[in-house]
Parts: sequence; C-alpha cells; structure tokens
Amino acid sequence: MLDFSILTENWDAYLTGFKQTLLVSLLALVGSFALGTFLAILQIAPIKVCNWIGTAYVEFFRNIPLLIIAFFLYTALPTLKIQLDGFQAGTLALIIYTAAFIADAIRAGILAVHKGQSEAARSSGLTYIQTMWYVVLPQAIKIVIPPLGNQFINLVKNSSILTILAAGELMYQADLISSRTFVTFEVYIFVALFYLVITIPLSSAVRYLEQRLARTS
Amino acid sequence: MKKKNLWFALLTMILAAVVLGACGSEDKEKEKDSGKNALDTVKKQDKIVWGVKNDTRLFGLKNPTTGDIEGFDIDMAKALTKEILGDESKAEFKEVTSKTRIPLLQKGDINAIIATMTITEERKKEVDFSDVYFEAGQSLLVKKGSSIKSIDDIKKGTKVLAVKGSTSAVNIREKAPEATVLEFENYAEAFTALKSGQGDTLTTDNAILYGMADEDSNYEVVGDTFTDEPYGIAVKKDSPEFIAEINKALKTLKDNGTYDEIYKKWIKE
Amino acid sequence: MIEFNNVNKFYGDFQVLKNIELKIEKGEVVVIVGPSGSGKSTLLRCMNKLESITTGVLTVNDLVLSDKKTDVNKLRRHIGMVFQHFNLYPHKTVLDNITLAPMKALKQSKEKAQQTARMYLEKVGIPDKADAFPAQLSGGQQQRVAIARGLAMHPDVMLFDEPTSALDPEMIGEVLDVMKSLAKEGMTMVVVTHEMGFAREVADRIIFIDKGQILEDTNPEAFFKEPKEDRAKLFLSRILNH
Repeated sequence: MLDFSILTENWDAYLTGFKQTLLVSLLALVGSFALGTFLAILQIAPIKVCNWIGTAYVEFFRNIPLLIIAFFLYTALPTLKIQLDGFQAGTLALIIYTAAFIADAIRAGILAVHKGQSEAARSSGLTYIQTMWYVVLPQAIKIVIPPLGNQFINLVKNSSILTILAAGELMYQADLISSRTFVTFEVYIFVALFYLVITIPLSSAVRYLEQRLARTS
Repeated sequence: MKKKNLWFALLTMILAAVVLGACGSEDKEKEKDSGKNALDTVKKQDKIVWGVKNDTRLFGLKNPTTGDIEGFDIDMAKALTKEILGDESKAEFKEVTSKTRIPLLQKGDINAIIATMTITEERKKEVDFSDVYFEAGQSLLVKKGSSIKSIDDIKKGTKVLAVKGSTSAVNIREKAPEATVLEFENYAEAFTALKSGQGDTLTTDNAILYGMADEDSNYEVVGDTFTDEPYGIAVKKDSPEFIAEINKALKTLKDNGTYDEIYKKWIKE
Repeated sequence: MIEFNNVNKFYGDFQVLKNIELKIEKGEVVVIVGPSGSGKSTLLRCMNKLESITTGVLTVNDLVLSDKKTDVNKLRRHIGMVFQHFNLYPHKTVLDNITLAPMKALKQSKEKAQQTARMYLEKVGIPDKADAFPAQLSGGQQQRVAIARGLAMHPDVMLFDEPTSALDPEMIGEVLDVMKSLAKEGMTMVVVTHEMGFAREVADRIIFIDKGQILEDTNPEAFFKEPKEDRAKLFLSRILNH
C-alpha cells in the first residue's frame, strides 16, 4: 500500500515544486516556440548565411544533452558576468534545447505547405516575412501540431533535470524529500502524479486544437 | 523462446544462491579463526595491510603518474607501522571504498582501516576504533575575502551550497535555519556552483573542504567545525591488544612532533 | 507595359526561353498558347518575377525586372495573378483571402478592404460566399474568388496561368465568363490557356510558343485560319480535333 503520509506531510514542498515546474514549463513553452519558429524560418529563408546559422544551431543543440546546456549556463555564464540562478539558467536551457526540436518540426511543416501558397502570397505583393507570417506559418503549424504537442510534453518532463541546478522544481523537491525521509518509491510516485497533472491536460489541449483546426480545412 | 529464458533465469538464480551461500559460510569460518588476536597476526606476517581511500584529496589519493597513493592517511599509516613493526616499509596499502572497507576487514584482507572513517556508535558494533587521529567535522568553504568567517555570519538570504541528502545539508538547516540551502548532486557540482557565484558558501566535512581549498587557492576553509565527526582507525572487532598498540603509537607520534609534521604537510589551515 | 528584349532563361544547361522579343501594350488581351513543356507558363511567371530571367532585359510597368535593385514587392502590387490550382489560403475565409494583400501590402483599412472585396465578389457572382472557407466551395467558385483576390489590388495587368485546366468541364464556363467580362472592361490580360474558343473570342493577340521560342505573334483570325509555322499547324490540329 502507498504511504500517503509522504504526500500529506510534504504537501507544501510538493506544491512549491509544482508551481515552479508549471512556471518553468510555461515560460519555456512560449520561449521555445518563438525561438523554434524563428530558427525554422532561418533554415528555409532564401539567404545562405541564415540557412547555415539555423542548421548549425539545430544540429548542435539537438545533439547534446540538455543537462550539459543547463549546467553550462549555470556555471559558465558567470565568467562572462552574466549571473543566472538555477531557475533562470534552467528555463533558458530548456528554451534553447527544445527550440532545436521545435525548429525541426516547424521546418518540416513549412516545407509541407504547398508551394503555390507562398507563390500566391508573394505574387500579390506581400513580403517574404508577411507571407511566412500570414500564409505559410499558420498552415505549417496546423500540420505540425501533433509533433509540437509531443515536444511540449517532453519539455515539461525534461524540466525535471533542473533539479541539478537546485531550481526548486518538482524533481528537486522530490530529491530532497526522499533524502530526508529515505523513502524513494512513494516520493517519486507522487511526483509522477504531479507531472501528470500538467501533461495530461496539455495533451488534451493539443488534441482539441488539432480537431478544431482540422475543421477549417 | 520465452520458456527457455525463464528456465535460464531460474537456473542462474539457483546458482547464485549456492555460490553466495558458500561464500557466507567461508566468511564465518575465517572470522572465527582470526578473531583471536589481530596483533599476533600482524606480527607473524611482519607487515600491516592498511585499507585506504584512493579518491580523497589530501587523505588518500592515487597519484596518476606514479601509481602510488598519497595523503594524510597514508603518511599516518606509515608512521604507525614504523612505531609498531620498526620499519615503515612494512606498511602495505589496499584501496578501499566506504562500502568495501568493513567487509574487507572482516574477511581478513586488510588488518586496519585508515580511510576518512568517522567513529560512530553504529560502526562500533562492527569494528574496534582507535583514539581519534583527525578531528573532522562540518565546516564552511568560502571565496577568500568573503564576509563569512564562521557559521554565525550566515544570515537570512545567505546561499549555502550542500550535497543532496548529506548530513551536512540537514545540519546546516538546524544550525542556520535562516539560510537558503541549495542542494546539488555531488561535491564537484556544488563546488562548481560556488565558483560560479551561485552561492556564498559551501558546507560539508572539513576534510573534503580542505581538499577543495587545496585544489583552488582562491578558496579557504573558515571557522571551527560545528559538528563532531572524528576519524578513527578501525580494526577487527575484539582486538584490544592491537588497538592498545595503535593508540600507544599514536600518542608517541603526537608527543614527538611527527603527527604535527604530517598534519602540516597536508592540511593548510 | 510589358517588354521582353532578347530574353533568355536557363535551368542549368536547359534553355527554357530563347531570344524572347515581346511587347504587350496597356489594354491588350494576349493569349499564350503552345504544347505542354513549351515554356509558356515560364514566360508568364517571368512577368511578375516568380521566375527570374537569365539574360536580356525585361521591363514591366517601367520597372526593369532584370535589375537586382528593383523592388519586386512594389512591382507585384500592380500585377494580379491567377493560378491553375487557385492557391487560395485554406485557413482563411473567402473575405480574408481577398483582403489580406490590400491590408498588408497596400496598408488599406479593414473596412475599405472588405468593401472592395465584397464588390469584387459581387462582380464574380458569389457575394454570398464571403464567410465560407475555400474547402467549402466548388473549383469554379474557388477560381472566381482567386480572380476577385487579384482584382482587389486594382492591378494594371492580370496574369492567368491555365486558369481552367484544373476545373471540371461544367465549371470552366463560369470562370471564362468572368474573364471575358474583365476583357470587355479593358483590363490588360495575359492568359496562358488551352481554351481555344476563349482565345478566338477574346484575344487581341495570340502568341504561339514552342521549345522556348515565340513562333507566332498574330491576331486570332490569322492564327486560327492559317498559321504560318508547321508546328503551330500541328498543335492546332491536335488541340481542335481533340
């Protein structure tokens, strides 16, 4: 039987961690979506240097562990006089890391939008950016909502590595509770439930969005 | 295919049980045999096999170029061997970890442990301890010039770095409840965080802190120890003669200045 | 209004357009015909720089397209284009499809853009579809929306790239009718099409192009009665006996 006293006795710690994880996730979600979209456009823009920068970014950050990015931001940036605490460094690392995956998904989405769409928009006098923004991206994002949803769910779960920066989120609280009580099973079972409280509504939201947008085409 | 795997697993388990059982009985026999007089054993073999750490800076650290283990514990062991058997070359070293040291002692693979081992009531049930040879305890590491000089300088909002789940983390919360304690996975990460300015001070055993200060001279250990975790030399349970001999030697070393010499060589306060 | 001077275009080693000399005046309706792969679509797409030329000089509306400094967006605001596959924006309503460019490229107010859009929807005969999404319309209706979208920019010239080729036969008429009425109003039009009836009825000039070369440039009567070139004769016999 599960020992629920672990949950009740450490409720405050769990709640603190939950709020922190929720905040990190929300900030990183918005940030990584914006950065990822920007990178996707860099990758396909008709300017060679942009393509190169975009591709280099994606290939680099997609292929190194998030843990290393996070620890680097936390410990190496201070040498450049940029002092980020665990929460800031962790959120930034999540944004940087997740953006690489989101860029990849959105780039695929952009390429999947029929070429005639951008031709129609460009031939009516819209600029490249306007064409992207009003015509191509809305369609691309609709195409990539399922993979984007997966990335966002991964992001929430990946936020658990912020524990190494003592960022005060769910996993960190769980580690502390566990090391204080010497209980592991219940501590992590309950922390998993808290993650589910975030990720399950997120997946339903994605599914809802997918269905709603599907109706308009 | 699945069935075959199942049988294989069962077979492996049975084998493992048999082997483990055999080992266990062997252990018991040896224990009985050598429990008689550890001092006699040492004298008969004319050497002392010391269990030492190989990964702890300043106490027992393997020198990668020479392959020798060096440190405070090693020098102490050599000096003690010289007192007991007349020649420090009669000291032999075997690398141990916190997990392996007691089993190795009980099996008779080593004669004594001198490996940053804190004397605790719990451990006294399993081994005999000598007098204290190093006054270890929790202390603080700060960047040189820090306003923190002792635990009393830890105020509200002071960021104290510690290692997750360590007793030091629990202790510091008790002794300085106002502090913000940030806990990291291990000492290396905690020290890196301190160097990156993510905290004001790092707390753990002074033995480890001295090692860090030795590694980076921009950092120093400040204040007295605020917990008591003395290191002792451990020998097999019920070896009063051997313990007496070690304590006698230890006293001699302290009296004739050898101890201070070794201490100063390694620990820079 | 549109002038090609010794224009050549290559895709790698393959020459799509050869020594094109062509002048289209304001108010003219020019129909470009030719076998598939002849370069007629490419010729049309060069006119608003959806394709760029390799050598020669191309001037449209007093802007030199072959000049790198030419503001291509400014050029395109005055040229409407209608595509074979309509290319309506599927995520936008009919009204939003039409108002997008006037609002974003010409900075018109929403009210003004919508007013114009409704007027052109009326003109192409589907004012009731303003709030529908493209997927809810028939092919013919979609193409008429596409024409309205082009007209809403008040272009100096309209380009049509095989506007009826993707349509079911029963819908071709409704699109051609809209185009005919445009021609009657004096709109400058360049049309790539296989609709010979339309060409004969509406065109001021017929351009016959094959293998990247303009082989005929004449009035419809002359072209359909007795084309000078053998290849034009062959083309006509195939397409008319079809």
